[in-house]
Amino acid sequence: MTEIDCEQVLERVWSYLDGEIAEEAYLEIQAHVAECEGCGSKYDFQRRLFELVERKCKEGPIPSELKERLFHLLES
Amino acid sequence: MGAGALAQQREHTAEDRERFEAMVSEHLDGLFGASFRLTRNRTRAEDLLQETFLRAWRSFHTFRPGTNVRAWLYRILMNAYIDGYRKSEREPEVVDQEDVDEFYLYSKVHESEDYRRAGNPEEVLLNNLMDADVKGALQSLPETFRNVVILADIEGFSYKEIAEILGIPIGTVMSRLHRGRRQLQVKLWEYARRAHYVGAEPRPGGTGSTP
Repeated sequence: MTEIDCEQVLERVWSYLDGEIAEEAYLEIQAHVAECEGCGSKYDFQRRLFELVERKCKEGPIPSELKERLFHLLES
Repeated sequence: MGAGALAQQREHTAEDRERFEAMVSEHLDGLFGASFRLTRNRTRAEDLLQETFLRAWRSFHTFRPGTNVRAWLYRILMNAYIDGYRKSEREPEVVDQEDVDEFYLYSKVHESEDYRRAGNPEEVLLNNLMDADVKGALQSLPETFRNVVILADIEGFSYKEIAEILGIPIGTVMSRLHRGRRQLQVKLWEYARRAHYVGAEPRPGGTGSTP
């Protein structure tokens, strides 16, 4: 196991998933969640939950007629 | 500033227009989606997008090439939204639940008898949450939290970019994002529990009887 403990890992999981963490801490957390089953399971759930929210809330592409209308505005 | 004053507008050349179109074009899908999430309504989303587009065009001469185009456009979007669309809505009171942590949803599915009986509680939950559940949960958030969650979790901006887009300190971005995500989980759990996902699955000896 690495030096960082479970509590420290779990309180930084969001920053880790957001890519908002220094490289050294990033590597420690990465190693920890790979080895520790409890943290790994929670980490995995968070990761998948973020993916789910992003996927479900993304809209399709802009309708082409709307895009045309916007660009048409510039011509006047 | 003065970008809104049409009288002061510089003459745009055809070349300006081409450069603007090329620059903005690839961001329109994202801006459209974000407009939709913010206004919760197709017509208002189109209006907001058009307003954003025109504001961007009027202040195109202030954009410094080489800086972050996407963040620049989203800052215009958020300002247009705040100026024009937010006033009509009453903000629900913000109540923070102290006992809610980052792993609220994880803990809830693991504590739930129904979900535990299904064998793999996280899997069942994640596979059964509907589009409408997730969108509904997002829309239920108080606006200050929702805006940050949209920018971070759907649009994928960094904390620093969000701070620039909204004109708030990074610490405030983080605190709103964390509170928003916690509340989102509370709401998702309400949907998941209400929908009886697990109970709806066929059980031996019963034909869809409700508990």
